[in-house]
Amino acid sequence: MHLPLYGLLFAGLALCAWAGDWPADAAVDAHAPTRTLTPKVVVNSGRLAWEPYKRDLTPWPSLSHLDRRPTPPPQAAGFTPPLRGDVARGRAIALDPARGNCIACHVLPGEDWPGSLGHLLLGYRKRGHSDAYVYQQIYDRRLINPNTVMPPFGTFGLLTEQDIRDLTAYVQSLD
Amino acid sequence: MSKAWTEHATLALGLMLLLSAQPGAADPAEPRRELDLPLERYEPHVRGDLRLSGTYPLWRDRSRLDWRLAGSPEEHWKLNWKFMDPPYNSAVHGGHFALDRGEALYRQLDRSGRFAACLGAPRGRLKGLRTRYPRYRADLGRVVGLEEAIEHCAAAQGQVLENGSYDNSAVSLYIASLSQGLPIAIDVSRGPMRAAFERGRRLFHTRAGRLNFACSSCHVRNVGQMLRGSHITTPYGDVAHYPVYRTQYMLQSLHLRLIECNLDAGVQPLRPGSRAYTDLEVFLTALSNGYPVSVPAERH
Ligand code: HEC
Ligand code: HEC
Repeated sequence: MHLPLYGLLFAGLALCAWAGDWPADAAVDAHAPTRTLTPKVVVNSGRLAWEPYKRDLTPWPSLSHLDRRPTPPPQAAGFTPPLRGDVARGRAIALDPARGNCIACHVLPGEDWPGSLGHLLLGYRKRGHSDAYVYQQIYDRRLINPNTVMPPFGTFGLLTEQDIRDLTAYVQSLD
Repeated sequence: MSKAWTEHATLALGLMLLLSAQPGAADPAEPRRELDLPLERYEPHVRGDLRLSGTYPLWRDRSRLDWRLAGSPEEHWKLNWKFMDPPYNSAVHGGHFALDRGEALYRQLDRSGRFAACLGAPRGRLKGLRTRYPRYRADLGRVVGLEEAIEHCAAAQGQVLENGSYDNSAVSLYIASLSQGLPIAIDVSRGPMRAAFERGRRLFHTRAGRLNFACSSCHVRNVGQMLRGSHITTPYGDVAHYPVYRTQYMLQSLHLRLIECNLDAGVQPLRPGSRAYTDLEVFLTALSNGYPVSVPAERH
């Protein structure tokens, strides 16, 4: 099978060197716009219908025994100052379910429906962490806590470098 | 000493720990996959929840649920949603229609008695059959779930009942209804079933997808926590009410639920009946051992 250029197809996807072929038992249609399929149960039918899913999930490892791809290993972010982050943009990314979705796990100021998995990020401004440290937390927290539940937003290509700069500025601004 | 220096040191130390603490994969030829640790031991019986979420005493007995908890949005997860099992809303929900459909399909498929024999029902008696699936089938040379067996045995009658389809799940629901109230009882102590359970246990802790979550990231580490508007519950005792009526899914088999959890967690889903889902099914079914079959149930 050919190796498609995932990086180009995926908006905002950083270098995605680990991407390989999906396994044969994955619910995928190589010709569908996002490839990944979602099942649709049709009443009184012996066939299961499939529809395109809103997002292409083929670049990352699945649970299939046939999937030969390793977990992308933790990466140091290599942050270079100055930060040049935009607090307002960072906040928008943090609240956007399709992007940072930090709100799913973190309590953020002014939001009604916080998740309760993560730490309170409130008061971060007073903690005096360097920008490089905060940037690394968002880029790939596995370097600090190998067993973290927080997704490695940088290593996995979920956010761009500028997104993470904006988020760092936002987190550093929280009272 | 400067703050930046300490943070560099922390990063370096973190990296060293990471390199030394990576759990080795079972087989050196296997790709290196991160696990969500610790890899819990799990008891192949529903009471194992006492060591996980501890909610089991609250939902052990369907007839003695605390209805004040059921009415509390903060606490109803502690009942593991068992208040939506029958006789809940016994009037009409979609599960009852599916049950009727399943019975009609079953009768038609089993006119010759060969369908029941193929499923492994002794003398055509379906009672208790549901409680002993998944099982190792020597004729197929692998462990199969009930829905995979239904697909296989229907095909032998020249009928298409794809795993995960409405009609397949309807037949499965009908078969389950004849084990109503009987405890799930699969044996994972030896042979291929034990191997499947162990693979399932490992898969349950294997990180995957765009967010690098494992099943256990939610269902072990964050039981009772709120994620995107719903509370996460224990993996113990879940299988007893499948296939289940869901408003958006009509009728959802266990493998379709795994697809839904995969999608919600940003993991590429697999086809129903895939080996990995069957291993997870064996694992989850063992975690329901001792819990009575209760269908047709509804879930939000
Ligand atoms: C799936 C849940 C989850 C998501 C989504 C998530 N985080 Fe986290 N985050 C955590 C958890 C849990 C911790 C702390 C414990 C750990 O590492 O497991 C944490 C830790 C952090 C820390 C370090 C806190 C400290 O005490 O030093 C920062 C900063 C942070 N997250 C920022 C973010 C930002 C910004 C986003 C959105 C881009 C985000 N997180 C998304 C779960 C999450
Ligand atoms: C992002 C968090 C998350 C992940 C990861 C996740 N689930 Fe779920 N799961 C949920 C939520 C939320 C529900 C609905 C509430 C409940 O019953 O726990 C659910 C429901 C379920 C149910 C149905 C329970 C019932 O009573 O009907 C099963 C079974 C299940 N999950 C298994 C799995 C398996 C196996 C995996 C790994 C392939 C997995 N989940 C991964 C969040 C998750």
